[in-house]
Amino acid sequence: MDRRTFLMSSAGVALMALNPVTSSGAADEPGEFHIAGILAFSGAYGIIGKDMRQGVELAIADRGGKVLGKPIRVSWEDDETKPQPAVQKATRLLAGGAQMMFGAVGSASTLALQGLADQRKIPLLATISADDKITRPNGSRYTFRTSNTLGMEIRMCVEFAKVKGLKKIYGVTADYQATRDGWDLFVAEAKKAGIEIVGNDYAPLGNRDYSVIVDKMAKSDADGIAVMVTGNDAVTFLKQSGQVGLNKTKVQFGPVLQDETLAAAVGPAAVGVYSGVRYHFSVDNPANKKFVEAYRAKYNEWPSSFAGEAYDGISWWLDVVEATGSWDREVWVDAFAKSTRGNSLEGMKVMRACDHQAAQVGLWGVVVEGQSPLPPLTMKITDVFDASKLFDAC
Amino acid sequence: MSTIVIGLSLSFLLFLLAAGLTLIFGMLGVINFAHGALYMLGAYVCYQIVHWTGSFWIGLAFAPIVVAALGAAMEVTTLRPVYSRDHIYQLLLTFGFILVIEESVRLIWGLDYKQVPTPALFSQPIAMLGSQIPSYRLFIIGFGALVSALLFLLLDRSRLGMVIRAASSDSEMAQTLGINVSRVRTAVFALGSGLAALGGVVAAPLVPIELGMGFSVIIDCFVVVIIGGLGNIKGAILAALLLGMARAAGFTYAPEWVELITFVLLIVTLMTRPSGLFSRKGRSA
Repeated sequence: MDRRTFLMSSAGVALMALNPVTSSGAADEPGEFHIAGILAFSGAYGIIGKDMRQGVELAIADRGGKVLGKPIRVSWEDDETKPQPAVQKATRLLAGGAQMMFGAVGSASTLALQGLADQRKIPLLATISADDKITRPNGSRYTFRTSNTLGMEIRMCVEFAKVKGLKKIYGVTADYQATRDGWDLFVAEAKKAGIEIVGNDYAPLGNRDYSVIVDKMAKSDADGIAVMVTGNDAVTFLKQSGQVGLNKTKVQFGPVLQDETLAAAVGPAAVGVYSGVRYHFSVDNPANKKFVEAYRAKYNEWPSSFAGEAYDGISWWLDVVEATGSWDREVWVDAFAKSTRGNSLEGMKVMRACDHQAAQVGLWGVVVEGQSPLPPLTMKITDVFDASKLFDAC
Repeated sequence: MSTIVIGLSLSFLLFLLAAGLTLIFGMLGVINFAHGALYMLGAYVCYQIVHWTGSFWIGLAFAPIVVAALGAAMEVTTLRPVYSRDHIYQLLLTFGFILVIEESVRLIWGLDYKQVPTPALFSQPIAMLGSQIPSYRLFIIGFGALVSALLFLLLDRSRLGMVIRAASSDSEMAQTLGINVSRVRTAVFALGSGLAALGGVVAAPLVPIELGMGFSVIIDCFVVVIIGGLGNIKGAILAALLLGMARAAGFTYAPEWVELITFVLLIVTLMTRPSGLFSRKGRSA
């Protein structure tokens, strides 16, 4: 074989190998609808992945396990909350014929999958990662988010501060770019509303001791404490602020500070803490009641915000795919970008064609003591902020 | 002044976390990567005891014993056969412990967070030096000081400590003199494991109990152990004080620089005194 023949043969083989995933998607009708589910199933975020998987599996069961007349198959992979394994595992599933990606949990992984989605022209549905960069005007054609953005949740914090009449705020912010951007947005919006920022400390991600920062907050004349940390850091902060009774003298709130899972980890010090809520099982509408009933019957637990958002997002996506009657991925993408979900679990959601972000109301709640059968510490929705206050116009 | 009190509490918490690691290295020459996993296990066992009995104090008393017994079993069944081999086998083995412990914890307790409440006796803050100091922090200072004193007395002043040090510095000679070196090693590994668990129990009311908690703490442990001198208990106490105070001051005046301050201290130590700021030649503990 001469060099020219070898090079042409190699190129041909490479093109054939790429074909299943680089074609426009208007391929022959496949035997199944294959979803690549890339979530965190291990480590600290493992519980989020578990809940999201339960939400997706219930959504698929609700529609008889089929879309476009074919069975739906989800291949679940653990990205270990790291971008590199996320991309590696997704790439393998796409090579195996997956027609869309669902995930991830962490924003860094989702952003990494977004690059893959654009490269391979495969739709990516995000239902929990909140980094604003995931959905932005003229961003990724193939990425959609049906859940909250961090920017939206920051605006909810400002709206809450206004409603609550807070005048002076001290903040603590996790020291990484997304939350730093969030804090800057909060400061800008708070100042517009006449709220004074009396201090802010950036704490390292994964910080295990907030005692000095809590002491500074306790000594300040702030009436509100903006807590721009989440997950383990939020639990650690609230446990330690509770030990000096900060929750009795100042209003503690944050964009993703508490839900039932985190409140259970904090204990009694969580009572009275305000937080943005992405989804809540108490939302009073027929779609949510039906979902909560089915979820509790199947899993014997209340659906978390992760499960609710995953169920809602994938149901919306599959309904749109069904309505297209097509196996062309470009058709799905075009249809989803213009779609509206009138019966979402949280009410109306409208997919914005400009950035592929679902415009929706913002739920805001406070941790209260729950009566059986509710969890011992549960969120009570106190405010529902209109989408017009939370999103910039396209 | 409140910074000093908080700094002391940070210091003694750091010492409790790192004591077991430095003890095992000093006496056995084993770098126990599973130290963080044993710390996590201590917190989970404490959670379970508190769940059953409602008492943090019973958890504080028994969780370290449970983990120490497990540590002894691990040493006898797995580490003992590889002491004579290259250190890499011990490293790999302790790394394997992490995977086994984490997976066992996941199977027993699941993925969701667990919570140990602050004991009622120390649940109220105390007004001191112009600040509200959590009384649990004062307990940590007192308890940490007590543990460090007991460890010092055990290793430096007791007959048992002399036996341990003899077995550590020349195991063959110690064996010839009638010391059961294998049993001493098992006891040291159990004590180190129990100390790791003790750290987990004391930290439990301050942090969420979850699968990743051991991983996040192991770096701090190594920083304390390296600054104090590998295997040097007194060095670990002084290093924990240095680091705790530096962190308290850092969080007071420049929170963004805290991590940098910590690692600059580590680098300066490695460059100027690679055997640790507080090490003494020819002496391990």
